[in-house]
Amino acid sequence: MSQIRQLPTHGRGRCLCGAIRFEINGPMRDVVVCHCGQCRRQHGAPPGYTQAAWEHIRFEGEEALTWYRSSEKARRGFCRICGSSLFWEPIGTGRVSIAAGSLDTPTGLKTVRHIFVADKGDYYEIHDDADQLSGSMLTASRA
Amino acid sequence: MSSSVVNAAPTAAGHCLCGAVRYRVFAPLKPVSACHCSQCRRQHGALGSYSGGLPVESVIIDGTEHLRWYQSSASARRGFCGECGSKLFWQAMDQRTIDIAAGSLDQPTGLRLARHIFVADKGDYYEIADDLPRFAGSNSG
Repeated sequence: MSQIRQLPTHGRGRCLCGAIRFEINGPMRDVVVCHCGQCRRQHGAPPGYTQAAWEHIRFEGEEALTWYRSSEKARRGFCRICGSSLFWEPIGTGRVSIAAGSLDTPTGLKTVRHIFVADKGDYYEIHDDADQLSGSMLTASRA
Repeated sequence: MSSSVVNAAPTAAGHCLCGAVRYRVFAPLKPVSACHCSQCRRQHGALGSYSGGLPVESVIIDGTEHLRWYQSSASARRGFCGECGSKLFWQAMDQRTIDIAAGSLDQPTGLRLARHIFVADKGDYYEIADDLPRFAGSNSG
C-alpha cells in the first residue's frame, strides 16, 4: 500500500497558459480529494491535492499568481491570466497543497483519501475504495 | 431575452466562491459530463465537470465586470472570476451555447453524472471507478 510505496520527491507543474511554472524538490504527499463546498465552487469540481513544503518549491512567473483569502485560515492561489487553480495554503504552516491537475504527468501519485464527503455535491458519487472522512483530516485524527 | 422569461423562476442558479459573479439559468440543465482532458485538468486543477449546451440567451450573468475569459484554444474560451479564481463557464467560440461548471451550481442541483469524455488524456493519479459510458475523445465522436 501507500506506506511502502516510494513517494515522488520531484515534480513540475504549471497553469494552463504557462505564465506560472513551478518545481517541487522535496517529498510530495499522495493525493487527497476534497469535497467541501469551497473547493467545489472555486475549482468548479472536487479537486485532488498533493502537498509539499513551501521551501521545496521554486517559481517562474510568480507575478501572475493571485491569492484569494477564502477563510481565516487559508488562501487559494490561481493564475490571473487563465484562471487555473494551483494552490491551497493553510496560512502559517510552511506547507502548501498543490492541485494535482496542475502537475505534469506522470505524477507518480495516487488518490488515497476523500475528505469532507459530508459536503459532497449531489451530481456525482464516490466509487473508488480510497478512505472517506466526513470532515477534515485534522478532525479525524482527534476523534 | 424576453421579459416573460426573466420574470419566470430560474431552473438553476450558481455563483463563484466570493460571490462577485452570479448567474441564473432559464432552461433545463443537461446531465453532467466529466472531462478528463489536459486543458480542463490544468485549469480546474481537477477534472472538468460540466452541464453543457445551454442556449446562451438562457443564462443571465450578474457581475460580468469580474468575469474574465481565457481563450484556451482556437475553438473555445473559459470563464472564471477574476477575484477568487472560480471556474464557471466553458464556451465554444460561436458563443451560441454555454457550458456551466457543475461545481458552481447551487445545491441541490438534481443533476447526475452521465459520462466521461477525453478519458485517453486522463491523469495518472486517479482511476475512473464507476461504470458510466467512457469516450476517448468528445462524446460527439
